Amino acid sequence: MDNGETEKLSVSDLTVGYPRRGKEAGMIFPSINASAGKGELVALFGRNGIGKSTLLRSMANLQKPLEGKIMVSGKEIVKYSPNELARTISFVSTERINVNNLKVADMVAFGRFPYTGWTGRLSREDSETVDSALNMVGMSHMAGKNINHISDGERQRVMIARSLAQDTPFIILDEPTAFLDLPNKYEVVHLLGRMASEKNKTVIFSTHDLGIAIQAADKVWIMLEDRLTEGSPEDLVINRSFGSMFTDSRLTFNDETAEFRIKRKAERKIRVTGKGREHLWTGKALERIGFEVSSEKVVDTEVNVISGKGNKTKWELRNPSKIKEFDSVYSLCYFLKNNFSAI
Amino acid sequence: MERNKNILLFVLLGLLTVGLFTASVFTGSVHIPVSEIARIIGGGEPLRPEWKTIVLDLRVPRALTALLAGMGLAVSGLQMQTVFRNPLAGPFVLGITAGASLGVALVVLGYAWIFTASQSIPGNWLLIASAWLGSGAVLFIIMLVSVRVRDIMTILILGIMFGSAATALVSVLQYFSEEAMLRSYVIWTMGSLGNVSRSQMQIFLPAILTGVLISLISAKTLNALLLGENYARSLGVSITAARFTVFLSTSVLAGTVTAFCGPIGFIGIAVPHIARMITKNANHRMLLPSTILTGGIIMLASDIVSRLPGHESALPINSVTALIGIPVVIWIIIKNQKFSKMV
Repeated sequence: MDNGETEKLSVSDLTVGYPRRGKEAGMIFPSINASAGKGELVALFGRNGIGKSTLLRSMANLQKPLEGKIMVSGKEIVKYSPNELARTISFVSTERINVNNLKVADMVAFGRFPYTGWTGRLSREDSETVDSALNMVGMSHMAGKNINHISDGERQRVMIARSLAQDTPFIILDEPTAFLDLPNKYEVVHLLGRMASEKNKTVIFSTHDLGIAIQAADKVWIMLEDRLTEGSPEDLVINRSFGSMFTDSRLTFNDETAEFRIKRKAERKIRVTGKGREHLWTGKALERIGFEVSSEKVVDTEVNVISGKGNKTKWELRNPSKIKEFDSVYSLCYFLKNNFSAI
Repeated sequence: MERNKNILLFVLLGLLTVGLFTASVFTGSVHIPVSEIARIIGGGEPLRPEWKTIVLDLRVPRALTALLAGMGLAVSGLQMQTVFRNPLAGPFVLGITAGASLGVALVVLGYAWIFTASQSIPGNWLLIASAWLGSGAVLFIIMLVSVRVRDIMTILILGIMFGSAATALVSVLQYFSEEAMLRSYVIWTMGSLGNVSRSQMQIFLPAILTGVLISLISAKTLNALLLGENYARSLGVSITAARFTVFLSTSVLAGTVTAFCGPIGFIGIAVPHIARMITKNANHRMLLPSTILTGGIIMLASDIVSRLPGHESALPINSVTALIGIPVVIWIIIKNQKFSKMV
């Protein structure tokens, strides 16, 4: 085995789930094969209830897999002693810890558990690790605060600092961006990326924030009904794996913009001409209200976006017999929704 | 600065303990001058020989019993609140107190049934042994369950069920017992700090110290359990071993106190909350010692109140702890309004 092989976390032919009276009944997910290498940020996507949490919990050895193997740094996870594993993999769950009077610094210091003696007293080295973990997540100034008195975004960063203080080569996080506002979601994903690139840790996290995560992830795992697909985000766009995540729903994945849209039945066609952002967003708006947008002259009705100086853009709706002008996308759409049959 | 504040806090608690212990030795229905008490404790002979008996055989053992019982009940309450992550947990939740009561009821009430001719109340040692056996039996069942049941809430509910079953059995026994025996059982349930003789102290003292010592050793584990069992496991804690240690300490403490002093309520639930208010720190390295000291202080104070000079016999200690304690708990709830988040 080469060095890269020994310093990664891989699962092979893994079946995770809850056994319940006979093997099939409680099974969540069929055979999974996946791996995460040193210094990689891995984003795990999948629909609700498909077993992301169960997979992550199994990889942290909090739950026994039904079948298959989990290899951590070239050794099977079940062969680790509890303390050895606690120095190898740290875990951040979705659970909100509501302990009153627990100080931020104490919470982070709990991460030093596998290294301290029976009294739990922190050595100077332990304290330094705690300080640098708080520093990395930008929470040093809050060290003395009660964890019940900080915001959800700050709390999530404290939990991440706790896992950093645990000083493990692998960090597994279950939906660290849930319940956060948009800037905090970006901040947290960015922080996870720094932990992977600067500290050379393997960071695996599950999330529903696809757009944010694929900008930062080195690798993506997509859990589908029948398999797990892995690869760089770009690979998965190219081989259309993202689209297959939601095949049974009305979502379609746009390969170029990497975003999902609700499929709509387009009954009416319209042509849009113009330039730049105004043109792009007018097209999106018309799709939203149920038009099939084309730039070819296939239909009689068309919208001309006339970009003027400053903010004075005008929208000209024309068909062979009439021309009507609008001063915003909103008024254009409002008119079209209510009067299309009239034009 | 934080450190100095903590040292000051413990000095204050220590002084309060010593002060109340002394006050307890000085108060009683028989008036003994301060100088005489000092002489007796110093090993000298007082003016009246019976004073020596009162101080050495009654007052000192009683104050020591109050101190130790308060410490033991408070620290077992704290451990239960942390393990079950429930602010209303106390030493009774595992059914240990109820088990002890059942043991005592079986002996006191069953005694008359077996030895119908004899009207004498069974000896003190027999009561202690039966209470111990009763709580030990409940502990044994709880341990068996907790090895097999993973969910801590299930254990909590089972503990409460065992307790209720034991209480129901006691009622059945009461229904069929003679009046004199019933009376001695009811007196036992009111609690008393004055029944521990000097020879019994040789068992009581080491038993309580052992229980308290086990709890102090588990400070680090209790901290990890604050975050819930998933986090605790990911930090390398063996949940089975942690539960075993905590349950052992709790039942040694609650079982012993109940055996020697009767079922004393309130202290176990309320004192940990008072200690949290004082320390403003959820870390068990702070919380455990302050809970232990506060428990001793409150029990000593309750005992002094129960023996307000002039009364020939002391008020039932159970009523005093409740009457002193309930306003404190209400005050804490109203002031904090976040009782659910206190553990």
